[in-house]
Amino acid sequence: MTINMSRIVQTLILITLYVFLYAPILYVVYVSFQENSVWPFPPALTGQHYESLWDQDVYRAGLENSLTIGVGTGVIASLLATMAAIAVLRYRIRGRAMVAALFLAPLFVSHVLIGISSLIFNKSLLGLPGNVGSAILANATYATAFAFLVVLAQLARYDWRLDEAAMVFGATPSVTFFQVTLPLIWPAVFGAFIVSFLLAFNNLEISFYNLGATPTLPTLAWGELRHGISEELYALAALINFAVFLLLGVLYVLLRTGFLKIDYRVE
Amino acid sequence: MRGDRLRFWMLVLPGAAFLVVFLVLPLLSIVVFSFWRTESYQLIREWNIDNYATLISDKTYLRFLMRSLVMAGIVSLVSLAYAWPVALFIARHGGRYKLVLLLLTSAPFLTGEVLRVTALQQILGPIGIINMALQNFGMESVEALMYSSTASGIGLTYLWVPFMVLAIYLSLLNFDFDLLEVAKVNGAKPWRAFIEVTWPLNRAGTAIGIVLVFIPTLASSVTSQFLGGPDGALFGNILSHQFGATGTWAFGSAMGVVLFAISLAVIGIVWRAIGDFRRSGITIKGLEG
Repeated sequence: MTINMSRIVQTLILITLYVFLYAPILYVVYVSFQENSVWPFPPALTGQHYESLWDQDVYRAGLENSLTIGVGTGVIASLLATMAAIAVLRYRIRGRAMVAALFLAPLFVSHVLIGISSLIFNKSLLGLPGNVGSAILANATYATAFAFLVVLAQLARYDWRLDEAAMVFGATPSVTFFQVTLPLIWPAVFGAFIVSFLLAFNNLEISFYNLGATPTLPTLAWGELRHGISEELYALAALINFAVFLLLGVLYVLLRTGFLKIDYRVE
Repeated sequence: MRGDRLRFWMLVLPGAAFLVVFLVLPLLSIVVFSFWRTESYQLIREWNIDNYATLISDKTYLRFLMRSLVMAGIVSLVSLAYAWPVALFIARHGGRYKLVLLLLTSAPFLTGEVLRVTALQQILGPIGIINMALQNFGMESVEALMYSSTASGIGLTYLWVPFMVLAIYLSLLNFDFDLLEVAKVNGAKPWRAFIEVTWPLNRAGTAIGIVLVFIPTLASSVTSQFLGGPDGALFGNILSHQFGATGTWAFGSAMGVVLFAISLAVIGIVWRAIGDFRRSGITIKGLEG
């Protein structure tokens, strides 16, 4: 009886969390289709906010830059993180706890600090100007930690004896990796890419300090927000939310099927 | 094996070097720059401790720092209270929907801070739905929700609670729920079993969750900028100001160093107080031993 009670309470708290997290998002999507954004009742549907978003070239430039930062960061982070995660899981070497700590450390540094410190360091010591490249490098530190976590969690169930078996039968390490390991673990690598892509694509505080005057979608949105919300911003928010959830849906399907595949082959 | 060691370091080195060059060295460099000074947007190598002297003597900075500390403390505690039942439910009763339920709590995090704050302003702000609804029905608007520290607090909880859920959930994932049955068989009431079994065995996850919420909240600026109103400015707002309009990078570096030092201290304190790897269930499979 009491256990049922606590289960009911937990369910209710879970539901309130989902409402808390999703009500603002759903409301923004709703408002993005309404003529009157302040008090959109009764509903009066319109696509004009999307049209005016589409008509502004600055948002297109911002989208391009955000995509570049996202893809650049995603590639660097998922590559570095996958290599490190394989090393840490596969080789029982002294020092791997330290390595894991280094790769997770960026999670414990606030974005502002990553932003300002890489701004000063890149400019004063490396002579890098503020641009998309600098933003990619700075974002990739933080994203690598996330990617590392994703790959680590996924590969924890991988059976390295598969690789050893391939080597016993004469496969070189690179052949083993590309013909045995990668075909099995690619959903994890792709998951790490998606997560780090999204983090960098939507990042404001790290990117902002490293971008110079280059616009991205988050910096444009931030600028809009300072001058009072313009209605295109709702359309933008709705579109980005939609894209994020679509990507995560794809990721979920891959994780599920990827898992099954690993388990199936091993057992 | 020698070959293993070589392969290990070959795989690890690119990433490690990357993190050292683009994260560790920049962080160390602001410690150095914090002892320099700035003149018309240029860092000048004249060693001095004026930046820190100003930070300590000018009570304004101390006040903003205190405000940020209190905010981070409250937001962490609220997130903690909120996240525990959620994580517990997903881990224990999630069944085959565990991953979906967890992804649903984390997904909003990936849409980015600005858009999340934009969405919140639509709910909480003066022309947000709550106040507009109250006005439309001829009621007083709720002052506490418009441009106030409460609004910032709600916003920061909204931003970072997914981290807390994730950390506690990952800890619970390795927790053996059969232990609770043992406790029950031995006569422990559910809350007692929680306090004596579930909580102590998942303290590391809790500690990591607290730190992951506390640190970004302490440094936050965007949320308070848009939800906090004129009196809601936090330490992060003043910090980012040094890199914007005023261009006082050396002073900003000193503020950054203070922020970083406090973050490290909080990690240490929280870890000593509640984290404890040996007694806790948190292990990443394959990484133990």
